[in-house]
Amino acid sequence: MIKDKLKKLTEIETKKMIIYPLIVFFVSLLILAVHFPQLGIDLKGGVVVTAYGVDANPDEVAKYLSQQLNIDVRVEKFTGIGKESSGINVYAPADVDPEKIREALKQRFPDAKYAISEVRPTFGAMAREQGIKAISLAFLGMAVVVFLFFRVPVPSFTVIFSAFSDMVIALALMSIFGIELSQATIAALLMLIGYSVDSNILLTTKLLKRKEDTVEEAYFSAVSTGFTMSTTTLGALASLWLFSTAKVIDEIAIVLIFGLLADFMNTWILNAGVLRWFIAKKEEREKSKTSKKTSMSSKASKKKKGGRK
Amino acid sequence: MNWKKLLFNWRVLLLTIFIIGSIASLLTYGLTFGLDISGGTAITVKLEHPVDQNTMEQVKVSLEKRLNQLGVKDIKVEPWGDQYIIVKVAGVTEEEARSVKETIERQGVFYAEFEGVIFATGEDIVQVFPIQIEPKGTYYEWSVPFRISKQAAEKFAQLAKDKAGYPVDMFLDPPVNSLFVVPQEGYNLMITDFKGEAPDAMPLTERIKKAFNIDTIAYTNQSIDEIVNLAKDKKLVVLVSVDKNLRDQLEAKGITVRYFEPQQGEDLKSLITRALGLYGPYSLGSGLAQGIPQTDVRITGTAPNQYIAQQEAQVIAVVLSSGSLPVKVYVEGSQYISPELGENFKRQVLIAGIAALIVVGLVIWFHYRKLRIAIPVTFTSLSEVIIILGIAALIKWNLDLPSIAGIIAAIGTGVDQQIVITDELLGRSKREKIVKRSSILKRMGRAFFVILASATTTVVAMSFLFKFFVGGLRGFAFTTILGVIIGISITRPAYAEIAKFLIGEKR
Repeated sequence: MIKDKLKKLTEIETKKMIIYPLIVFFVSLLILAVHFPQLGIDLKGGVVVTAYGVDANPDEVAKYLSQQLNIDVRVEKFTGIGKESSGINVYAPADVDPEKIREALKQRFPDAKYAISEVRPTFGAMAREQGIKAISLAFLGMAVVVFLFFRVPVPSFTVIFSAFSDMVIALALMSIFGIELSQATIAALLMLIGYSVDSNILLTTKLLKRKEDTVEEAYFSAVSTGFTMSTTTLGALASLWLFSTAKVIDEIAIVLIFGLLADFMNTWILNAGVLRWFIAKKEEREKSKTSKKTSMSSKASKKKKGGRK
Repeated sequence: MNWKKLLFNWRVLLLTIFIIGSIASLLTYGLTFGLDISGGTAITVKLEHPVDQNTMEQVKVSLEKRLNQLGVKDIKVEPWGDQYIIVKVAGVTEEEARSVKETIERQGVFYAEFEGVIFATGEDIVQVFPIQIEPKGTYYEWSVPFRISKQAAEKFAQLAKDKAGYPVDMFLDPPVNSLFVVPQEGYNLMITDFKGEAPDAMPLTERIKKAFNIDTIAYTNQSIDEIVNLAKDKKLVVLVSVDKNLRDQLEAKGITVRYFEPQQGEDLKSLITRALGLYGPYSLGSGLAQGIPQTDVRITGTAPNQYIAQQEAQVIAVVLSSGSLPVKVYVEGSQYISPELGENFKRQVLIAGIAALIVVGLVIWFHYRKLRIAIPVTFTSLSEVIIILGIAALIKWNLDLPSIAGIIAAIGTGVDQQIVITDELLGRSKREKIVKRSSILKRMGRAFFVILASATTTVVAMSFLFKFFVGGLRGFAFTTILGVIIGISITRPAYAEIAKFLIGEKR
């Protein structure tokens, strides 16, 4: 059943294969331009007090805290498997003493377990700078490695663009689902580079180096391998996301899941489309070099491909 | 099938050796967990400006000295680069975590006291000069020269007149306005010892009472109420080597308590000294007892060897200068996680890890419908985790939550690459029945090209994360890189052999 669905992928027109993912990419850019994900407190400074083992209405808690301490706080509720793993996050500006929040909460929820974290804005600014530096350098490093491995401009560029698009789409999804950009999510975005290149290299290698099969066969074999790869990874990440309530782990897992979904499209549709177009062009050129007759027959075969919707 | 041949294949053998070695490493060293799992507090301290290595070391030592005054165990002070220090304290309560932070935020308070009178504080220490160590026959004499302000020198000259041999005490962050509870034996020590070379000097208990309002009592099984009564109007109760239950009972009554117990090889006298933040006492030299103010003074002592002399002098130098740390420090951020919560996280990630392995195994089985593939893939991933953990145990890497996320991410890429290998092996069976060895090699070559390319990019990308981040995400980068390297060098080649054996030749 899945195999049949995957087989349909081989039948999409090359142009559509390139255009649809590009539309998604530009829509994501648009989303980011309008609404970039919020920065986590580790990147902008602030205070978070987390109370675990608490089941409470966030609005009520916010009201209670602002009455008690005369400060403006934002309260969020989260739930996990088991009572211990549910609770609330209280966010406050950087100049608030987190101890006061904890003490106030403790009066109301004496049995809760607490985690407190505060970051000064200056440190947040430094972490932000480091994050930008780490992402740009990692991206450049990846680009260099990809070029070194393939040494052909068009496929290398597509692999690099796919990785970029994965990150952009993941960021857009973060913005939609209200996941903050933090040190943890930056790490996950960087990890996406690794995952993305993984599948793209598999596809590119199969299509460019596997000469014994036709392009369609090679593509189908790559896509079914790639599908298995993505589902196992998604499975591992989903269990991470489901079973853990630690914020860091949850965020890393969810961003990787977003990215992998984006990557599935970018690798098997966008990159595959570009590669098929590239191979067709190359073959055309080679043939036109040898004789004009064969060039015509290649055109004919191309028409045939297009008609096979 | 030739199982023996498979088992003795060097790639499989290498994997076996690594698994056994890792299990041995796990059993001998055990895993060390980060604060976000074991619970505790991590405080990021920023220095006012970047400093050289010497100054950084000085700041580190003086922070350590001051934090040791709190009576909490397991304090780690780690410099990060030239401007940051991260202080980590494991397994502390919320109150303890708070006092660690407060101690760092407060600049250290230094007092020099003589016969119950404070004659100099940190502000009076103008400069501390390099320590000197001289061999004196069978022992070494060390000295720490320093300069005090003119006012302090004058005050001291008056106090110290004709009191040669009397004890001079120095304190760093003493427990001001507290009730000091010691065993009877310790109380006796405080009365009789700590007198320098002057038998009629004021006993230590009186000196600290007069200087810092510290009341000392011997613990003779007084009831909680009696102690609470004595501690009325006091800021703090310091318990030294007494019944530990006392601490919980006092805390239950809302009293702030510092609890001290001897560390390995520490005698009662040194423990009392540590609990008081006392350095000394030093006997007053006759030169200073003539009533003439001197701003350039020195503390001297002797030690049996050069190493100990160096250490003792270093401590004094740090104490003297830490009244005013060489640079100002600011708390830039702090994290606290209650120890019970950490325990909860540990259980969760264990479950998540096992679930991830099972899910991977199931998905693989669902795709290929062959246990012959699902079992080796799951086993290889499991062995990868074991080897990563084994190496982490060996180098005592602090496993924090990001590190664990990194391990699971590494399983993700690991499985991906095993699937690439499996599919390359399976792919041929569609058309060719008998396969020449060269073809398998070619396919494997292609699989390993993909694997190598993606491993290199992951390592390159993660190296930047490892290099540029101050925070805990280095753990994520570290385990991912470690996982990828173990993958390409040990587990993947072994899996290729096993897979060739199980799905290649059997068909």
